[in-house]
Amino acid sequence: MAELAGVYASSHGPMIVRSWEKLASAEKESLTSAFSELGKRMRAARPDVLIVISPDHWVNFFIDNLPAICVGVGEAHEGPPEPWLKAFPHRSLAGHPPLAEHIVRTAIERDFEPSVSYRLALDHGFCIPLWKAGVDPLPPIVPVVFNDLEPPFPSVRRCFDWGTMLAEAVASYPGKLRVAILATGGLSHSIGEPTMGRIDEAFDRDCIRCFERGDPSALIDFLNEHLPGAGNGASEIRNWVAAHGAARGRGFELIRYDPIPDVYVGCGFASWKL
Amino acid sequence: MRDYWLSKLFFDLQSPPLAEEYRAGRKKVLDRYPLKPAVRAAVESNDVAYLSTLVNPYLLRFYFLMAGMPEEDFLRRIRATAAPVAVRTGHG
Repeated sequence: MAELAGVYASSHGPMIVRSWEKLASAEKESLTSAFSELGKRMRAARPDVLIVISPDHWVNFFIDNLPAICVGVGEAHEGPPEPWLKAFPHRSLAGHPPLAEHIVRTAIERDFEPSVSYRLALDHGFCIPLWKAGVDPLPPIVPVVFNDLEPPFPSVRRCFDWGTMLAEAVASYPGKLRVAILATGGLSHSIGEPTMGRIDEAFDRDCIRCFERGDPSALIDFLNEHLPGAGNGASEIRNWVAAHGAARGRGFELIRYDPIPDVYVGCGFASWKL
Repeated sequence: MRDYWLSKLFFDLQSPPLAEEYRAGRKKVLDRYPLKPAVRAAVESNDVAYLSTLVNPYLLRFYFLMAGMPEEDFLRRIRATAAPVAVRTGHG
């Protein structure tokens, strides 16, 4: 049987790459140290496969067909299409169809209805954390796209339940695999809206405390009440909630949090003790 | 409610060749999209406030970045669309 070997979360703001040279030295130090520790923990887990939960930033999907959740079941995925990510070292990323298909089957059995894609382009949401954390060589990836960008969103509770289901799918996979989960995005940020650039540090710190306390209901209640006021990018915390669900709502450990104005994001990094 | 064709234009402009063509001359590209006259006029006049009511904020931000509007200019314009709100003091 497969084993859940690690659960992680990371911010993925584009300015981490696009504006790296313009960041203040303290901002660079914060990000470098956080990604370094994240990478260290991920490498220590020795995953054979990595499930990465991230939004799609208008790369694969548009408003003519916008899935709430999509699982990448293909043999390969395309590297990031953003022109400013040309230096990302992989133009193609291997998939893991057997695990991806098992996840889809388990989801259907548990009354979820994911869409599937046999060929996804993995944008900065997937690739910045993998790159900056130094996950190299890259294990095969099972991408799971959560719609965090365009309403209607999957509910926070549904995202937690998705994470629980992912852990069950890993545990029931009939093969010897070490599987890790990486959720990317968040914490608070605001893009293309009147509050653009605002980081809600109070929200972020309260949110982190909710993850640390573990209680899923309290976390879900907190997010249902406060997510709408924390900037549109905070919606990506849904991915962290799924990771929390995969970890059975326990063991959250903050690696680092800093509000980084030049990235426009409350940058958070975490892992879960399983 | 989103404006489909405006959203489609912004979405399509993520293609670098189309973006290059657009920057070289908007009219030819805009003619291929059945934009409502008011929407087209807003695109032509870089009316951030009006367009912000019609498209996803990420696409809006991408569009003006692609079109060459300086970040400070975009921030000033989008922030000017804010309605006055009460300051939140805590999260309970």
